[in-house]
Amino acid sequence: MAIECSYYLEPVDTTDLPRRFLDAFAAVLSHSSYAMVLDAACRVTTRCGRCTSTCPVYQASGDERDIPCMRSELLLKIYRRYFTPAGSIAARFGSAFTLDEAYINKLAEEVYRCTACRRCKLECPMGIDHGLITHLSRWVLSEVGIVPKALVVATREQLEGATHNTSAIPVAAMKDTCEFLEEDCADEHNLRISFPIDQEGAEYVFFPAVSDYLLEPDTLMGNAAVMTATGGSWTIGTGFFDGINYGLFYSDRMLDRIVSREAEEVRRLGAQKILIGECGHASRSAYYFARTFCGGKDAPEVVNFMEYTLKALQDGRLNLKRGAIEERVTYHDPCNISRAGWIIEQPREILKHICADFVEMTPNRRNNYCCGGGGGTVSIDEIREFRTMVGGATKAEQIRRTGAKYLVAPCANCKKQLREICEDHGLDDVSVVGLHDLVLKALIPPQHMIVGDSEAEDASLPEN
Amino acid sequence: MDLWIETARGPFFRVALTIMILGLGYRVAVVVLQIAAAWYRAADRRLPGADIAAATLGWLVPVRLLRSRPVYSAASFLFHVGVIVVPLFLLGHAALLAGILPRGWPTLASTLADGLTLACLAALVVLLVGRVAVKSARKLTRSQDVLILVVLLMTVLFGFLAAHPTQSPFDARAMLLFHILGGNLVLVLIPTTKIAHCVLCPFTQLLFQLGWHFPAETGRHVAVALAKEDEPL
Repeated sequence: MAIECSYYLEPVDTTDLPRRFLDAFAAVLSHSSYAMVLDAACRVTTRCGRCTSTCPVYQASGDERDIPCMRSELLLKIYRRYFTPAGSIAARFGSAFTLDEAYINKLAEEVYRCTACRRCKLECPMGIDHGLITHLSRWVLSEVGIVPKALVVATREQLEGATHNTSAIPVAAMKDTCEFLEEDCADEHNLRISFPIDQEGAEYVFFPAVSDYLLEPDTLMGNAAVMTATGGSWTIGTGFFDGINYGLFYSDRMLDRIVSREAEEVRRLGAQKILIGECGHASRSAYYFARTFCGGKDAPEVVNFMEYTLKALQDGRLNLKRGAIEERVTYHDPCNISRAGWIIEQPREILKHICADFVEMTPNRRNNYCCGGGGGTVSIDEIREFRTMVGGATKAEQIRRTGAKYLVAPCANCKKQLREICEDHGLDDVSVVGLHDLVLKALIPPQHMIVGDSEAEDASLPEN
Repeated sequence: MDLWIETARGPFFRVALTIMILGLGYRVAVVVLQIAAAWYRAADRRLPGADIAAATLGWLVPVRLLRSRPVYSAASFLFHVGVIVVPLFLLGHAALLAGILPRGWPTLASTLADGLTLACLAALVVLLVGRVAVKSARKLTRSQDVLILVVLLMTVLFGFLAAHPTQSPFDARAMLLFHILGGNLVLVLIPTTKIAHCVLCPFTQLLFQLGWHFPAETGRHVAVALAKEDEPL
């Protein structure tokens, strides 16, 4: 299926591009452990092709460019030629590969066809992580200015802009949104919730994907309802309130800077833990990299919201009505939280409690199929057709086979991609929702949360 | 002919075996040192030990292996069993390595050795045909991928024919000579080609997990190296 995958770039300085690419590659290799990874990949790849049987992009496109091993070879070829003694020696004995602009362009296109879902790693008998090699390729490319515009514009606003978030939401607008959600929850659900802002000394500082403030009111209301119902100690920090971390998709330097901002905000508020909302890559960026970039063992602990909710349910602090959701529900495992085995059973325990008809997609859990928008590709609108018709083709069939009405996807990026998949594949009856959207529907609130209960209102009022 | 065989089985074999042992020892030493250095530099050393162990061992057992591409997987498994077990435990080979192997080294019964060899040969043919016939495999295949299979196929075949002279249309001593030369070539290829995965596979699952455990200062040091510390995005 020959669908283009071309994305917009900001203007790229192409002066001396191959040399600058090699300088960037050398700098990265010198200050990381990536050389170990590339050495091993060069030596142990047997070109068995098992990765072809599992890559959702290759399975849909049949294009040799999408074979994970072939994609990794693009970077490995540069590595061998310029960074290994054998490569230098071999170059003197024949027509050596020479890096040029055309090759860099090819690399730039192919690494963003990959969703970095890392299904290939599970299928490789050697465990070669082609997602890691894609990740590295993208970092080196970013150092010469080759990054999809969508990712770098958002990150620039998040790190250097006035609003410090990828959706350019001013603090006042975020506060207004929270206030609106409190009112809406009271009006629509008769539930009293609150979004504490800048509370010092709370246990958790909340970092959802900031786009939730614009696009996922039910998820946020569900989050706040759980915290209010359980008396959770949490807050949103106006200094930094965006869990999104596109550094995971294109640059370890940005990954470091963004997760460090989260840790700084926790420290600023005298809080203890980072509480990530429903977002796969935001969760992974924080959970797996806070220790690396934010002080090792002194880094704040990272908790995914679904872990909090499940624990509260199991402890009896949160009451949810069994079988409250009568329609058929299925669950999409976001790659960033399930591939490594972190968040697998937690959402399922909650869903099996509140759903009357819960069905699994096949395969699932660690072997899930990517939504097709992973690796930051969902944020690149101009490649939508490639994402939904190629990368997301297998996912569409999985969804169709379940016959589900609700598709639960606890990841902001997956939600966007899955909604686009449903539109583009004619799955009009499927609603893509967050887990906490359904938790909100199933909540059995404690008295103090019920709006219009005058005793509860009196009890909750401070004494004069 | 006898002089060629003695030379091939004597000094050529010893040189080839030495290259293999030193080469593989070097490969293992390098990867162990790389892993140790990466672990030492890693700011976050928490590793999923159980997952790594399960992945490392899981691929040795043909359960996970056969879940996808079953024909190719079965051929791969039979090939690996044959090409590892027969060279190590064949009576004729054990005699050759008598000074190196421990006393009481087990050897295979001849029917079992023959069965494993024929299964290995059949598997090699399937793997070779697969590389040519399957589109994705064809695109992935490098010259070493085909050449190694051909060398192995010839070596195993010549060895079988040398061991069964009455069933072979060719001169048994010629078969033996080519088998030994082929075997010596394989020994040299082991540490210098992808066959090195035989000693690296206990480490690779760990290594690629560790690849995500960056040194704390990676981003900042790269920014300094590229003079980008104060450069706006």
